[in-house]
Amino acid sequence: MRRLAASIAMALGAGAAAAAPMGFKGSVMAMGDFGPNWRESWANYAFTARDAIGAGGLYMRSDDEARTRTLVEVNYTRLLKRWNLEDAQANVWLFAGVGDIRGNDFAGSKLALAPGVQADYETTRVYLAATVRLYRAADLNHDFASVRAGFSFYEVDYEETQPWVVLEVRRMRGLSDKPEITPMLRLVHNRYFVELGVNSARQARANFMYIF
Amino acid sequence: MNHSSRFLMAVLLAGSAASAFASTSVKASVNGMVCAFCAQGIEKRLSKLPAAKAVYVDLKQKVVAVEVKEGQLLDPKTVTAEIVDAGYDVTKLETVDQSIAEIKAGMKVKK
Repeated sequence: MRRLAASIAMALGAGAAAAAPMGFKGSVMAMGDFGPNWRESWANYAFTARDAIGAGGLYMRSDDEARTRTLVEVNYTRLLKRWNLEDAQANVWLFAGVGDIRGNDFAGSKLALAPGVQADYETTRVYLAATVRLYRAADLNHDFASVRAGFSFYEVDYEETQPWVVLEVRRMRGLSDKPEITPMLRLVHNRYFVELGVNSARQARANFMYIF
Repeated sequence: MNHSSRFLMAVLLAGSAASAFASTSVKASVNGMVCAFCAQGIEKRLSKLPAAKAVYVDLKQKVVAVEVKEGQLLDPKTVTAEIVDAGYDVTKLETVDQSIAEIKAGMKVKK
């Protein structure tokens, strides 16, 4: 049953890759981040302009491919502060997740807590974001941090596709000994958001977001 | 009815006919609107308003406009509330006698 729940959660789509981790009031947002060592997916529902609740799944594998973790969680996202400027937007987000984590080097499952915070700043040409998320369970610490910076070569009209170049550096304690660096091509077209890249371990990555 | 009265009547009728078919839009300047993916909430929410005929979003000029259906009224405060619920701030709001096509054409000239 838990495996089924994990599969469903991962199929829904996922995470820290997002420009904004929730959609507008009344919307459902699905996100996914897929690579050999990291597969994350989740969906949430924004029940106010600042609050969303959702469910997700995360599969992690160590660099040496020896250890794996699978987390299924329910999570709450809160837009703590937003600055709507004339030519920019900045946000601070809070995350609170609770779930069930399993691993191939311990028996059974453990209760996991996953609080986090994200700060981002975006103009029509520049994007910056920093995310910290703690993944804690008894005898487990897989705290995660990422930094993203990107730019677009030109502005576009609302109906046009905008290409971005984004560089992400991320690291997870206890599973990866070195930071993962991934340059990505981001394409944004109205309701579609896709990122494709190859990380420093020469592994392909694909992220997406979609708002229903 | 003399000639001048008939002429005056014709002018008045023509004027009222023109105003009956004139398009009205609520036009807003919006802060924080930097990304099409994020701003789609504005379009979706405003498009659902019963009085909305068409919605226009201009990222470069930071303008959102809603054309009102003929014979219907759209309270500008409703437009503000929808944009705020989509996560943005309205800095200026006006009702203009223009269709979306006319507003769009005007924006293209500005660019």
